[in-house]
Amino acid sequence: MGNRNSFMSAPHIFGVRHLSPSGGWHLRRYLDEVKPKVVLIEGLSDAGELIADMVRAQTKPPIAILAFTDCQPVRTLVYPMSNYCAEYQALVWAKENKARADFIDLPSSIFLALQGQRESTVEAPLPDFDQDVKAKDETVDEIDEASVGLTEPDRTPEPDKLSLYDRFARSAGEDNYETYWERRFEHNLTDHSYRLAAYEFGRGLRELDDDSPHWRAENLVREAYMRRCIAQVIASGTKPEDIVVVCGAFHASVLDPTEHPAMSDAELGELPTLPSKLTLMPYSYFKLSSQSGYGAGNKAPAYFELLWDCLEKGDLHHLPALYLSSVVRHMRKAGTHRSTAEVIEAVRLAKTLSAMRGGLAPTLADLQDAAITLIGHGERASVAEALARVEVGTSVGSLPKGVSRTSIQEDFEREMEGLKLAKYQTTTAKQDLGLDLRENRRVKSEEAAWLDLNRSFFLHRLAVLGVGFAKKQPAPGDNPGWAEKWVVQWTPECEINLVEAVLLGETVELATAFRFRQRLDNCLRVGDAAEVVRDACECGMMESMETARSRLQALASESSEFVSVAHAAHELGMIARYGDIRRFDASPLLPLVDELFVSGALALGSSANCDNEAAKEIVGAMEELNRVSLEYHDRVDEELWVRALTELSDADDRNPVLSGYACAILLERNVITSEELAREVSRRLSPGIDADLGAGWFEGLSRRNRYALLARLQLWEQLAAYVESLDDEQFKRALVFLRRAFGSFSPQEKRSIAENLGEIWGIGADQASEMLSNELTEREEEKLKELDDFDFSDL
Amino acid sequence: MTTKKAAKKEPSAKYSGSSLRLTAEELFAEEIDVLIKAETHPVPAGWKMSPRSVLTYICGGKCGKLDITPKYIGHERLVEIAISTLVTDRALLLIGEPGTAKSWLSEHLTAAINGDSTKVVQGTAGTTEEQIRYTWNYAMLIATGPSEDALIKSPIFRAMESGSVARFEEITRCASEVQDAMISLLSEKRISVPELVTEVAAQKGFSIIATANTRDRGVNDMSAALKRRFNIIVLPTPKAIETEIDIVRKRVAELASNLDLRAEIPSEEAVEQVVTIFRELRSGQTLDGKAKVKAPSGVLSTAEAISLLANSMALAGNFGTGVVTESDIAAGLQGAVVKDEEKDHLVWEEYLKNVMKKRGAAWRKLYAACSEQNG
Repeated sequence: MGNRNSFMSAPHIFGVRHLSPSGGWHLRRYLDEVKPKVVLIEGLSDAGELIADMVRAQTKPPIAILAFTDCQPVRTLVYPMSNYCAEYQALVWAKENKARADFIDLPSSIFLALQGQRESTVEAPLPDFDQDVKAKDETVDEIDEASVGLTEPDRTPEPDKLSLYDRFARSAGEDNYETYWERRFEHNLTDHSYRLAAYEFGRGLRELDDDSPHWRAENLVREAYMRRCIAQVIASGTKPEDIVVVCGAFHASVLDPTEHPAMSDAELGELPTLPSKLTLMPYSYFKLSSQSGYGAGNKAPAYFELLWDCLEKGDLHHLPALYLSSVVRHMRKAGTHRSTAEVIEAVRLAKTLSAMRGGLAPTLADLQDAAITLIGHGERASVAEALARVEVGTSVGSLPKGVSRTSIQEDFEREMEGLKLAKYQTTTAKQDLGLDLRENRRVKSEEAAWLDLNRSFFLHRLAVLGVGFAKKQPAPGDNPGWAEKWVVQWTPECEINLVEAVLLGETVELATAFRFRQRLDNCLRVGDAAEVVRDACECGMMESMETARSRLQALASESSEFVSVAHAAHELGMIARYGDIRRFDASPLLPLVDELFVSGALALGSSANCDNEAAKEIVGAMEELNRVSLEYHDRVDEELWVRALTELSDADDRNPVLSGYACAILLERNVITSEELAREVSRRLSPGIDADLGAGWFEGLSRRNRYALLARLQLWEQLAAYVESLDDEQFKRALVFLRRAFGSFSPQEKRSIAENLGEIWGIGADQASEMLSNELTEREEEKLKELDDFDFSDL
Repeated sequence: MTTKKAAKKEPSAKYSGSSLRLTAEELFAEEIDVLIKAETHPVPAGWKMSPRSVLTYICGGKCGKLDITPKYIGHERLVEIAISTLVTDRALLLIGEPGTAKSWLSEHLTAAINGDSTKVVQGTAGTTEEQIRYTWNYAMLIATGPSEDALIKSPIFRAMESGSVARFEEITRCASEVQDAMISLLSEKRISVPELVTEVAAQKGFSIIATANTRDRGVNDMSAALKRRFNIIVLPTPKAIETEIDIVRKRVAELASNLDLRAEIPSEEAVEQVVTIFRELRSGQTLDGKAKVKAPSGVLSTAEAISLLANSMALAGNFGTGVVTESDIAAGLQGAVVKDEEKDHLVWEEYLKNVMKKRGAAWRKLYAACSEQNG
């Protein structure tokens, strides 16, 4: 088959592996030799109009073609290309030599529709099929079967169930397919070797093919379509020998339209379609690498770029030295010194490792092992970061301005101009941006007066969409509510995120609204819905907020989960309080706050029946609800809240920490008097009460208003008496709770306690304090050590 | 048993007819011979076989009709790196927890490469510089003055002369000044004898395999200068339990025939139980990851599991019925887990009660025996 170009009637077919640098290099040499007039490439056939932009001088790969449906549910395909991959080099060659280049795979409309069909069959999968679909969904399938389904990092195949490709590699005496491919294909510089070997490899795969029937059928459809495209080009007057077809190795043996039938019009008409759109987007090596979960990528895009550079310069044998010295350079930059001698030895080791397998040059695996042995001194962890930097790299592609803008990018640009934010896009350094949300009264137009507020809305929307352009800094404690601090930084990654957001909607606002709807659909708890309400408010999207509010109400009527309800009430309360800063009417929220408040207050009693772990959350929620009751004391049913607290405070069968905390809130609200407190303390801490109850209660009590406690000498007297009354075992248990209770006290407060205790013991404050803060004596330390062995786990 | 030539040259092999432990090259003489005869790849200077054959010898495979038994199981790639290191005339340093087969691997490497694993320096706190360079037969030195005959060469000296690989066990046990002597040896690759006004240059094929223990880190830590002269390989504890069970079973069977233990090999179940216990105590949690257990003070290496089982076979053979029973294993476990501290005793008891007791019928007998021992 290899010397098929001697038959005059067949087009030249060049099978490659996607993202294989050697494929790109051999292809260019082959194209120079054949000098075709038309280069046909396996790729979405409707992406042809993007080719001109893809090879413009200002375009810097990696880039990707993004295809997506514009109806729900959104389906996508990403077709990434790096500088060195054969498909991209084919495009570049065609431009340089004024040949025509075109894509010949199924158009995106059919591809996306087929993808949908595949998803719908997942319900009843064959055992293997499910995995295939998952792998391929992620992996953007049209690329090349030879690279799909073998590099999922998280799915280590069991020894008895290796993937087809790994079995291929094993039979050739390699550990895995990547190494097999690199050694057999990437390092072989003999003319035609790549094309002929890939051809045979693909044919071998077809014979062994054990993919799912569905997958196989899709391949047959695609191949028939590609033959159809090739036949059309021939029919339009191009001689077959003036055509070079670049495709995945898997397809290489069946693309000759004279040997196999092409797809007919009727067959084409029967294929399902979905309306779809295409755009170019910048891509990054990180996304290409499988580290980001993109399975069809190669594990080490930056390494393969090194390989490509070496191929171009014709000094492949420099690659090991280049790779290893880059690793060392990164290590040195990070502060770990490694000598040149070690690099030299590492190169020698890598070459020996490769020679043991009969290879021409070290593969990536050989280089990695040499780096670990020599540069990492045997430990992977010490070189792992440097390896990742050299192999994956941080390269991000870019497109010239104005090229294939998606609607959301245009909208983004417009907004950035309108909000005078465009200047932040010109540099990639981090910059601070302070916003004052209040009306600026010194300017004329309404728009200018509210500029900062609108900026805030816009930045919040971007944050909701996951475009990492601006990050909000946490507000300082005394923040008046109208000031916001942002750190903005424009990175190419932002551009990628933005393009991806087009899948949610045409403009930033629409996409944000869609994201809110998604979040609401997934909301199961009142608290989550309240967060959506808050986010929508911060984004200034009243409609979304209204939807969120009704969703919240629906959830609230069903839910009586105290923590979540209290959280929601608090969030809404905050929004309503500061709503006017964002110029919106918060009044519709207030009835909801009332409602949530009541259901929260009623839920307190039953939810307080819990273990200490859950109590931590509830303490926070009690605090939140209490704050709501204070802020809106004129609206909410405060009496109900106090009653609930009193019940909890008096209850003996609830979590003691929570009872203590309820008591503390009541004390703060002046609902219980000193005498009542004294009585309660003595009741809780009377001798004979279990340590976890007594001390736990005290822990809850001391969570709040410590000064009120510190000022009450009587209380400490009671505590001291209680501790004295405990037997050894009980004391040890009580110690846990008390230690925790006092753990959060400041030194100043601890000193006050010491003073109190000194007073009680009649030894004077100073002496007590000194005793407590003294170094431990040996005997005491021994005592403490004994405690270490004490088993606290059943508490 | 051993070739006459070797017996003449190596004093240690003199009594090999009934020696307690045969060297690797004696034990696997047949495999080595077959591999050398069937050699098809180029053999580096000073080596007896090609790097690939060394790999086959250590990781197992087929050579002609003979099955080569695997000597090191689990990490073939590490062995490949080790062999490649020695091909590039670099010194090799094997680091690992106690009982991760460091010495085992170094012995087999030298056995395959040179057919001689006996050029060993045993590193101890008392090792002196003379032991790694040369010393004198003082009677002769005084009688006849310095001469070639009065010179007692260290194993490393002899390895340099003959172009073979020497072993340096437990290098981090040696004082740092002794370690430092290695630096110039490894970079100059020659040793000078000023008393005789000569200098011996290492022949092609000379190298050193050193081993060091991670538990010793910080005792006599190696200097950066010395470290730089080694290719360092960290030998891990076996990753999968199946690998570890394989290793234990294989080595126990070998020991049994070697030491003439008159007992049956422990059942598969018993081996699995011992390995499970070791792994769980070593990692501080049960294999399913559901429960935490306390770790005892000892290392509980694979090597210990092997000797434990061999030990219980000896017990069964000499004092029992010849079949390893639970109580034989329990006695071994007691010794392996509870080293000398009171704490280990509690740890072991806790493990028995919380983990082993709940494991059902298959473990009941062992549990009962262990509880009785720990009593």
